[in-house]
Amino acid sequence: MKTPLKLLLCHHGTTGARRAEELAHELAVPGTTTLVHCLVVPEFWAGMQGDDWLNNASTRDAFGDYVENMLENDAKRELVAVASRCKERGLAYESVMRFGNPAETALAVAGEIGVDLVVIGSPRQKGEEGLNSRMELEKLVRGLTCPLLIAPHP
Amino acid sequence: MVYTRKSPALFIIGLVMLLWGWLNASGNIDGIQQYFQKSAYSDHMKVKEKFDAEFRVATEMAAAESKPAPEMKMPRSKFDEAKAFQTKMCYIFGGVATLLGLLIMVWTPKEGNLDYYLSIFPGMAYILMIAFLVRWGLDPMFGNWGKAAQPTLGWNFASIFNLNYVVLGIVIGIVIVNVFKIPDWAANGVRTARFFLKTGVILLGALYSATELAQLGAISVVMIGVFVLGSIGVVLYMGRRMNTGNSMTAVLASGVGVCGVSAAVAAAPVVNAKAAEIAYTIGTILVWGVGCMFLFPTVGHMLGMGPVQFGAWAGTGILNSAQVAGAALAFDPHGIETLKVAEIFNITRVLFLPIVVLWLATWYVKHEVGAEKVDLGKVLFAKFPVFVLGFILMFLLSTLGAFTPSGHYQGKYFSSEQIKEDKLLKGKETRAIESELARLKEPAGAKQLQDFFTEKAINIGQRHATPEDAHKGLAELIANKKMTTRDQERLLKAVGKMKGLDAVTANAIDKASKAAYHSSKTIGAFRDWLAWLFSIGLIGLGMQITMAALKQAGGTPLIIGGVVGTAKAVGSLIVVLLFVKEFI
Repeated sequence: MKTPLKLLLCHHGTTGARRAEELAHELAVPGTTTLVHCLVVPEFWAGMQGDDWLNNASTRDAFGDYVENMLENDAKRELVAVASRCKERGLAYESVMRFGNPAETALAVAGEIGVDLVVIGSPRQKGEEGLNSRMELEKLVRGLTCPLLIAPHP
Repeated sequence: MVYTRKSPALFIIGLVMLLWGWLNASGNIDGIQQYFQKSAYSDHMKVKEKFDAEFRVATEMAAAESKPAPEMKMPRSKFDEAKAFQTKMCYIFGGVATLLGLLIMVWTPKEGNLDYYLSIFPGMAYILMIAFLVRWGLDPMFGNWGKAAQPTLGWNFASIFNLNYVVLGIVIGIVIVNVFKIPDWAANGVRTARFFLKTGVILLGALYSATELAQLGAISVVMIGVFVLGSIGVVLYMGRRMNTGNSMTAVLASGVGVCGVSAAVAAAPVVNAKAAEIAYTIGTILVWGVGCMFLFPTVGHMLGMGPVQFGAWAGTGILNSAQVAGAALAFDPHGIETLKVAEIFNITRVLFLPIVVLWLATWYVKHEVGAEKVDLGKVLFAKFPVFVLGFILMFLLSTLGAFTPSGHYQGKYFSSEQIKEDKLLKGKETRAIESELARLKEPAGAKQLQDFFTEKAINIGQRHATPEDAHKGLAELIANKKMTTRDQERLLKAVGKMKGLDAVTANAIDKASKAAYHSSKTIGAFRDWLAWLFSIGLIGLGMQITMAALKQAGGTPLIIGGVVGTAKAVGSLIVVLLFVKEFI
């Protein structure tokens, strides 16, 4: 397998994503490979006020700001952690943080940057707790023009 | 930021509405309307047959007298009124939408208030068009299908599953957001659905009597108090036992305990809930709420519940407040009695909300190491539901007679002055009352009255009614040919139900009593608009329920929410069936 020049790592802090990161580190070559970290904030957060209608605007705004800040801080923390682990290994690191559908965003980023390999984690095991925002594998596989590597579940 | 999306959508919606209005006015779609408005069309045919017969007789009489055929106009049937209403609504809202749609197409929006307010109209028109489609099309269509399938199935599926305009509207909202997505041009307006629901609740304030509000308020405070505080306590206990974490437990307790998503939204920032905890809680509540909205009305009908019982049960047992209104209207789509009861429970819940948020904030600070103290006064002030003040204001204005004479009940009020000439008692009726009055003045008649008043505990003001009061009331009725005071009307109405009273007299009293009560046009308009406001609001709220949010339900929160939600629904049902009686 050729050494990837641009490797897209889809990582949002889960156990599966951590495994994908380890695999990406094994494949990336310091000085040659640039690891592009794609972090997607799932679009379902846009509907997370549900059908609340009793609260006044200030309460809803307070909730919106609170969730937005929390998601932003969580994402930044994740970006910093992945960046620091890349630095330890001497890997060039870039990051892209977007709001949207995970598969659609990964496809868009892969197309924009022109990556040669995409690495993702395997879907969460049944019964394992976590947010329900899965990568639509079929959509990703059909849309990608480069190889896709799925890290096995740890 | 510019909010208005340049799109012909509003213009097209406006044109579609105008077209429907014109088709109704011109009679071009009478064939379709006959199918949708079966009952009104049946009334139309009766009115037409009667008119045709009268016209034929009048024509024949005129011909016999060598006079020209008379000019007669057929009275408006329910079918004509229904078509006229659709025409009026379509012309008003279609006209406004067309004009604003044109403005959006020709104007280049710039940042500012005009852009912001203009951006909400396409979404509002979009929901309104769906509301028209559901109320005038799908609701009667499912009703017809339900009746048509009844002989084959043996049951009316539309009635059993409550497939009326409320449920269908919410389902269409859910389908649109999850299958087709809300168009960009409509997104801002769809969010105004909350405004319609709150306006509906505020208007509802005008329809309560003081006694009714006091009775419902007392029941709701007791039931909500017991079940809200009880379920919060159970969630806090289960959360600690199952190690779900303090912030998770607190936000789940607020949502499951008080008013669902609204409570979770209010409490999450105060108890520092994490992203996943918020998602779990809201997902769990939405799944539970939507399920209950479909299940509760069916169970309510199966158990033969009345408006007070069902409103009290839905108002207590359904976790999410939006689905309380939906279930109440699904149970009783053509009246507002159940909605009135359910909304009192919703209001009581929301009044509990600031107190519960304070409680949970205090609980969280006590149990979470390093948690920052919360400004309790600030929380209490920020979470106070301002629209409840609007509801109270409308109730006070209505009670004080701002919309209709004070002392009215649901828009009906007593007025002797407004009794029309043709409603006065006729000679035959007053003569029957005279002869009955003479009988009641005899010792045996007076004793009959006295016994009746004692048995029924009939009072005038603070004292017991006497036979002399009845004699005086009847004499005044004969003299005036109508009721002149409310006390007289109340007393004679009771006398009219006394056994052994002459039938003509009893009927005359009933007729005079009915003639003295008038309906307020303002309150009548409020009642009509309420159904539309809730319909539009619930379609819009349906558009906020995404499958992605529902899918977040899971894990320990779903177990705790499921256990407490079931206990609350079943427990409140038992309490309602045992202790709550119908009084509306």
